[in-house]
Amino acid sequence: MKVVGVAFLMAVLLAGCLAMGQPKYIVLSDIAWAPFEWVSEKGAYLGFDLDVMRAIAILEGFEIELRDTPFDSIIPAIIAGRGDIGASGFTITEERALVINFSEAYWDSNQAVVVRAGSGLDLDMVALPGRLVGAQRGTTGSFWIEDEWVPLGVTLVEYETYPEAILDLLAGRIDGIVQDVDPSKMAVLQYKGQIEIAGVVDTGEQFGFLVAKGDPKELLPRIHRGVAALKDLGVWDLLIEAYFGPSLGAIESAWEKCIDILLVDRDPLRYAQCLTAELRP
Amino acid sequence: MNLSVWTEVAPHAPVLLRGLLINIQLLLGLISLGLVVGVVTALIEVYAPRPVGIAAGAYTWFFRGVPEIVLLFLFYFGLSQFGVPVSAFFAAVLALGLRSSAYQAQIFRGAFQSIPHGQMMAARALGLGRLRAIVHVVLPQALRLSLAGWSNEFSSVLKDTTLAWGIGVVEIMRQASYIRARNFTLTLPIYVTVALMFLVLTYVGNLAIGLAERKLRVPGLEGQR
Repeated sequence: MKVVGVAFLMAVLLAGCLAMGQPKYIVLSDIAWAPFEWVSEKGAYLGFDLDVMRAIAILEGFEIELRDTPFDSIIPAIIAGRGDIGASGFTITEERALVINFSEAYWDSNQAVVVRAGSGLDLDMVALPGRLVGAQRGTTGSFWIEDEWVPLGVTLVEYETYPEAILDLLAGRIDGIVQDVDPSKMAVLQYKGQIEIAGVVDTGEQFGFLVAKGDPKELLPRIHRGVAALKDLGVWDLLIEAYFGPSLGAIESAWEKCIDILLVDRDPLRYAQCLTAELRP
Repeated sequence: MNLSVWTEVAPHAPVLLRGLLINIQLLLGLISLGLVVGVVTALIEVYAPRPVGIAAGAYTWFFRGVPEIVLLFLFYFGLSQFGVPVSAFFAAVLALGLRSSAYQAQIFRGAFQSIPHGQMMAARALGLGRLRAIVHVVLPQALRLSLAGWSNEFSSVLKDTTLAWGIGVVEIMRQASYIRARNFTLTLPIYVTVALMFLVLTYVGNLAIGLAERKLRVPGLEGQR
């Protein structure tokens, strides 16, 4: 019995040491962009990107610390060594790839053009000379307007955040806004009857996670293995079902009920199943 | 904005107040740092030998000349390049505090110079050393005289603390953006609420400084009412 006891104690200590010895990486995210990442009513960080990161960390045996950072500051922070991974719906672009390394694409996102409801504008009519079109500074939407529409005579109006652009659209100061499809759909849902999607621009854009140039901490292989495992297990599709569609309030209460399965039991599959089960009508 | 919007804002008030608490912490940190460094800088500018005075002048020139948001980035991203990984909060206190010290130094310098030189001569004639004359005669009067100008600096830096969200300090503006991110329709009412909170805070702060001013006044020193 004594031997068993000692062995058990050793095992516990060893497990403890292993857990202690897990490397910890800082994940930076601009946590104000639902449903990829946002802060719940009760102050919790949730969203597709964040849960994917938490699940990858569990599968690949490392710890993460989520740190909220304004979008424009994430890449500078990673360059300066203030963070290890950027997970904030980053579109993979050549310019960004010059200064940091991207993971393989994990998300396809096209750009939606949002206009005032009843304005009768379609994509071609938004892109006419003299039109004012808004976008969030530093996002693909603003780059896209700059490259494709400004030569046609459109004026680009940049905003610090997406909601500010919507306010100006409602006030009639701009004619449309270019923003990723999913946040655009959410905005249309929230401003029911006031704004609508005029059309979707196929930019062929994709999101990637990002790490420091040259991947000095060898994180990319772990992220890739983690994403592949999540897809194999079926967790990936369940998380998509949970995060893209239901209202934010419903997601928040389901998340609260289930998150301990991920953080305490460390079981990504059972967590994702719990989440979708809670959200199904 | 109709009335129902405000009933929607009300539940978010505690979250905003929690953010405001961080702003107040930032304020206390930066204004005390600014006070200490500011008084020392002003003393150097007025009383120290010329080369040292020039160095102090260069210091205030730098911190008054660089935009605050640039200072924040320089301290947050810059210090870590030299292997000093400061937290966002500490970087904000440092950047805004040193900037404030440069402005406060000007307030105190003006006050030091407004104390008649005859007092210094009188103190020296009574046998006080230069340093003791400054500490016991000039400083107590000058600090009192500075309060009016200082209340201006207080109101200014209180609002500057909202810039700290640019480097990731979760203060009131950041909390507001969280709320906004999940309730687009509340964008304007949330900012109106933030504005009201700051109006109350600056009012209370300036009231306290005004009281201190009256309490600490030296009869006969300044023009009597």
